[in-house]
Amino acid sequence: MDNGGQKVIQFDIRGQICPSTLLIALKEMNRHKEALRSGDMVLLFKTDNRDATVTIPDAAEHMGYGATVAKEANYYLITVDNGI
Amino acid sequence: MIQNAYPLIIGTSLLLGGVAGIVMHRSDFCVVRTFRDFFLFGQTYMLRCLVLLVATTMVLFETARQFGLLANYPFPLLGPPSLANLCGGFLFGIGMVLAGGCVVGTLYKMGSGSFTSFLAFLGLIAGSVLYAEFHSWWLPFARATTFCPGKVTIPQMLGVRPPFVVASVLACAVYPCRRWFRKDAWKRRSAAEGYLQPWCAAICLAFIGTLSYILIGMPLGVTTAYAKLGAYAEGLVFPEHVAGLAYFRASTLDYLPPFGAVRLTGGAGPRLDAITAIQFPLIAGIVCGSALSALLLHEFKIYVRVPLRQGASAMAGGVIMGLASRMAPACSVWHLFGGLPVLATQSVLFLLGLIPGAWVGCRILVKAVVT
Repeated sequence: MDNGGQKVIQFDIRGQICPSTLLIALKEMNRHKEALRSGDMVLLFKTDNRDATVTIPDAAEHMGYGATVAKEANYYLITVDNGI
Repeated sequence: MIQNAYPLIIGTSLLLGGVAGIVMHRSDFCVVRTFRDFFLFGQTYMLRCLVLLVATTMVLFETARQFGLLANYPFPLLGPPSLANLCGGFLFGIGMVLAGGCVVGTLYKMGSGSFTSFLAFLGLIAGSVLYAEFHSWWLPFARATTFCPGKVTIPQMLGVRPPFVVASVLACAVYPCRRWFRKDAWKRRSAAEGYLQPWCAAICLAFIGTLSYILIGMPLGVTTAYAKLGAYAEGLVFPEHVAGLAYFRASTLDYLPPFGAVRLTGGAGPRLDAITAIQFPLIAGIVCGSALSALLLHEFKIYVRVPLRQGASAMAGGVIMGLASRMAPACSVWHLFGGLPVLATQSVLFLLGLIPGAWVGCRILVKAVVT
């Protein structure tokens, strides 16, 4: 998916075993760190794990990224970007 | 004193289970997270919440005891320590990490629509039934490795009164807890709707456990009910085999409930007894409470398309936990929320086994399940 020049990758990790949400998010943030830092990429995580709304933004911010959480129909959408 | 204590027991269990289900769903309070988050991510937040829960429960239990509100102290089903507690705790630690939730965590997650937790629930029942097959082999080991016969708690072993030991333990817990409060290290920032801070949940669960102890005669525990459910299910196919198993014939609970005039008995076998009255409503309450909480937040949704490895891990973890909870005997909630606050030696050994078990479970999880 492309959003005005930014590449957007979406991960649907709803229903997965705890704590795979955070493990997957960490793995993807590390894999795409260059593109994330430069602002060329945004990662979206769809999760139904309430705890992930705490752990993923915390981890992202510790790594120097920005993170926002929005509640959708019956899940949470966590957006990780360069925070600028 | 009432002649028939069952309505009070069933009603209390259902109500406390319902509240616990809501509290755990809102805060995502699960024993697994306390150890797993530490081993996988170096996070100690949930570990601190567990310390708060145990310390608060310790104060509440001791206060209730001083006011004469605890009819049985220590509570029934606790016994002298044995190596079985340590081994069971170790296996339980592995199982709970692989299942993605402890025995109670599995229930509230299942209530909120988690399919993997439903698989873990099935595994728990299967593991409990599996234990019944080698109970007659395991029991002699548990008996042979029992030490300090007749001594259930550390104060009993030391020959001192409980308040002295409880005060010593609390003195150690108060300083770090106060320091964490000063550093504002208890509050978590969450965007989850209706979020309950886990430290508040810890205090709520301490009160729920204490009410259970006062009104039912023991703190929260559910694992014998898993074995009972399994016995009912197996009995539909192999009734004679189930009837012949020593584990299902045994009656492990025999106690006089608070406010009751008649002793109650119960066991894992497929029959209506005190275990049915205490644990089945608690299970139903937790599942329904969590489901209600999820429905009110519009978050109830069942996702069945989960990676095969994760589904297999949840079920295998459930089997291991079910087996371990019978070997130990009992589970993390029984030992950590109930046994540790009375300083039961069994519970201390269970915890000592649980910690390395959770570490092994974390290694397996990252190497083989979430790859």
